[in-house]
This record gives sequence, structure tokens and C-alpha cells, in this order.
Amino acid sequence: MLQKLRFAAGALAIVLLVAWLWPRPGELDGETSGGDTLARIRASGVVRVGFANEAPYAFVDTATGHLTGEAPELARLIFRQLGVPEIEGVLTEFGSLIPALKAGRFDVIAAGMYITPARCREVLFSDPTYAIGEAFIVPDGNPLGLHGYRDLRDTPEAVLGVVTGAIQLRYAREMGIPDARIRIFPDAPSAVDGVAAGRVSAYAGTSLTVNDLLSKTDAPLARAEPFEDPVIDGKPVKGFGAFGFRRNDRTFRDAFNQVLKATIGTPQHLELVEPFGFGENTLPGDVTAAQLCGAGHD
Amino acid sequence: MIEFLQTHLPALVGGLRVTLQLTVGGALLALLLATVAGLARRSPSRWLRWPANVYVEAFRGTSALVQLFWFYFALPFFGLSMPALVTGVLVLGLNSGAYGAEVVRSAIANVPRGQWEAGRALNLGERQILFRVILPQALPMMLPPAGNLLIELLKNTALVSLITLSELTFTAQVQRAATLDTVPLFALTLLIYFLVAQVLAVGMRSVEARIARRRGRA
Repeated sequence: MLQKLRFAAGALAIVLLVAWLWPRPGELDGETSGGDTLARIRASGVVRVGFANEAPYAFVDTATGHLTGEAPELARLIFRQLGVPEIEGVLTEFGSLIPALKAGRFDVIAAGMYITPARCREVLFSDPTYAIGEAFIVPDGNPLGLHGYRDLRDTPEAVLGVVTGAIQLRYAREMGIPDARIRIFPDAPSAVDGVAAGRVSAYAGTSLTVNDLLSKTDAPLARAEPFEDPVIDGKPVKGFGAFGFRRNDRTFRDAFNQVLKATIGTPQHLELVEPFGFGENTLPGDVTAAQLCGAGHD
Repeated sequence: MIEFLQTHLPALVGGLRVTLQLTVGGALLALLLATVAGLARRSPSRWLRWPANVYVEAFRGTSALVQLFWFYFALPFFGLSMPALVTGVLVLGLNSGAYGAEVVRSAIANVPRGQWEAGRALNLGERQILFRVILPQALPMMLPPAGNLLIELLKNTALVSLITLSELTFTAQVQRAATLDTVPLFALTLLIYFLVAQVLAVGMRSVEARIARRRGRA
């Protein structure tokens, strides 16, 4: 009797476990890529956007489980006008965004990714949606006196932390910081923990990422003030963030750009992005993706 | 403390679900592959032996993380695009299966040769000897290393966080990005892995005990 009861309890536990683990509808959806992406997402009403969970650009609000940030909110607005009511986020590491887009894992990169010539060879960019400068996170009091990439280069014991796949690695190299003094972290929180734990002297990120991270942490860290933006090819660099598309999705990208152009800078757009720290002062002006990509690419 | 758990635990349980899906799916696939490849590696036919050798050496000899990237990011260029969960189960199963094949092969090799000879002397067929005489003796030898592999598989599922699957480790990373509670969050994640591994270990030990008892009776 007891043995039968034990058997029944065990069987029930296994059935419940399997029921919990069994894939829910949608979890096993395959990805289709190629062909006419715009026509496909218009037909299905859903566009999948890739993001790397970096606040304030594109992140999951853990309180609501909702994808939000500068890029997803703007994407929602624009895709609605393109006749696609719903966006669905696909979360991946920042360094995997481009490979995953190319492999058809999602349709658009909506992560506030900067336009760079190297990335332009891999993907098509929309025109930029914002322009911002750089910043460092350093220990309170900035013990090594690091106020920019140049200071860091000229301080032999200083080590810089950057995030894998992010633009700051290129800035560091162009500014002449040797690779031996650069540490690459998988994500921004790890880099911040790296500064807090003394593994690196500074974390280099965009000024908005830095503000966001500092607002969350209790560790004795601060923004390096004042800060000198890196100067590359004679001009101080600014980052221009945009949406990324597959290279064979040119008509899709062009349709997106058209709506984007009519949206950027409108009161509706500014109201949408102000909660994330963007505003009038981060508008990209009339800079286009073609200018940022350089010759031969757009 | 309560507030910390309220913020993070529901998300971590969602991540644990994916981790367990990968572990169970990967283990079932690995069991099948380990049995087939382990037996094939001892087969007299080179048409069975060779593919099994290639499989085992290829998956043992390359990085699981790179295999994962390859299946997820490179295979779609050859026209085969599997959902992330399927890719994860497949790569983890192929990987553990390759190690498991060696466990199966070595356990069979460790049954004394005299058992085969005794079987032949009793006029049993080769297949009968294998399934009736050799495997029942080899099975208890396979269980402890198989338990090892199962726990190894559980922990390997964390690799899958790199192909857009929100399993336990990745969920912890996401929660950490929102609040930067690094230390308590990773401590809780370690604890969850440890508890699941303990459940697996206890389960494997009870299977071992059950088989030992059955053998004692036979």
C-alpha cells in the first residue's frame, strides 16, 4: 500500500514537472529570414527587435517585464506607422547583435547601436536617432586623475575597462592605449563591478550609460569630471546611435528611414525619449548614416 | 531580504525553467547518443565504428561554446535555422553524449572477457550475450560517471545564455543589470544551481541503490 502511494506520488511529481517544462506556444517558433522582411512583418503584425539590455538605450523593465528604452519606444512609434502594431524583443549579448541579425534571429537591431564604418560593412543603418558624448566611471575622488582617454594613456598604471563589441574599445586603441591595459567585460554591470573591485581604473561608456549605472549602484564610484571626449582624426568624437538592418533589406531600411525622418525632433518624439535622459540636446541634427559610414557604404 | 527575493525570485524561477528544459532535453538526447555511439565504438563493423569515432572525437575535441555559436549563428547561413531552445538541447546533448559514449564503452570493456567466453560456451548469440550477460553487469559501473555527466550538463546549460536563451545565469545577469545587486544575486544563483545538483545527485544514488538491490535478488 505504502509502496503504491509512493509510486503514485512519484509519478504525479514527474507529470507535473514535465507539464511545467513543456514548451509553451511560441517558445519553439522557428525564425524565417531573407525574402521581403517588410512584407512579412506587415503580414504577421510582429517585428522582432534585437537588444542587449543596456539602459537607457534598450532594456527590460524588470518591474513590468516590458521592453523599453530609447530605441524600442521609438521603434514602436515608427513600426506602428509602417503598419506593424507589435514589437517583440530578442535579448542577446551586445557583441552577438550583428551575428544574430545576419543569421535571421531577429529583423532589426534596436539597441541604440552607434554607426561605425566597420559595422556598416556588416549591416545597413537607419539614419541616427541621437548623438551623445563619452564618459568614465572611476572610484570616488578619481585617485588617478583620469579625465579622458588621453589621461589614461599617459598614466602607465591605469587600466581601462570596456564592454565587448562596444565602440569604446576602438576609441581606446585609436587614442593609443596599449591592449595590455585594456580589459574587455561581457556587459556594463560587470565593468562597473570591475571598477568597484579594483580590477580596472576606469570604465569607459557613453555618457548616458554611465549616468544610468551610477544611479543604480551604491558602490563608491563617480563620473570623471570634467571629461575630455576622445579626439580622433582631429575632431572630438560623438556617438551616433541608429537601428540596424540586414544588408539585403535595403527597401525595408529605406521605408523605415522615411518615417524616421518625419518623426525625429517632433514634440511626440522628444516626449517619448525624455524619460530616458535624451532630449533636444541629443538630437543628431542632419547627420546621415551615409556620412558616418564613409565612402562606399551606406 | 524579503524585498530582494520578491524582486528577483520570480524571474530566476522563470530562468530555472529554461535551465531544466535544457538539462532534461539534453540528458535524454545524450542518453540515446551515448548508448548508440558507445556500442558502435565496440562494433566489429567499421561502418559503425568510424562514424561513432568521428562523432565522439569531434564533440569532445572542440569547445562547447564555439559549437553553440556555430549551430546558432553559422548554420542559418547554410539554410538550417533552428529555434534557440532546440539548438541548446541539441548541442548540449551532442556534447554530453560524446562523453557518455566513452562511459558506455569503458564499462563494457571492464566486464571480464571470461563472461563473453562463458556466454559462447552456453551457445548464446553475440547479441544475447551483450544484452543478457554483459550490459546488466556493465550498467552499475556506468551509473556513477553518468551522474557526474548529468551534473556537468546542468552547469553547462549556463553557456546557452550566449544564444539569446534566458536561462538561470542569463536571468541573473538581466536582474543584475537592472539593480546592480551583484553579490546577493549571484549568491542566490549559486544556491539554486547547488540545490538542483543535489536533487540530481540524490536521484542518481537512488537509481544506483535500486539496481544494486535488484542485482542482489537476481
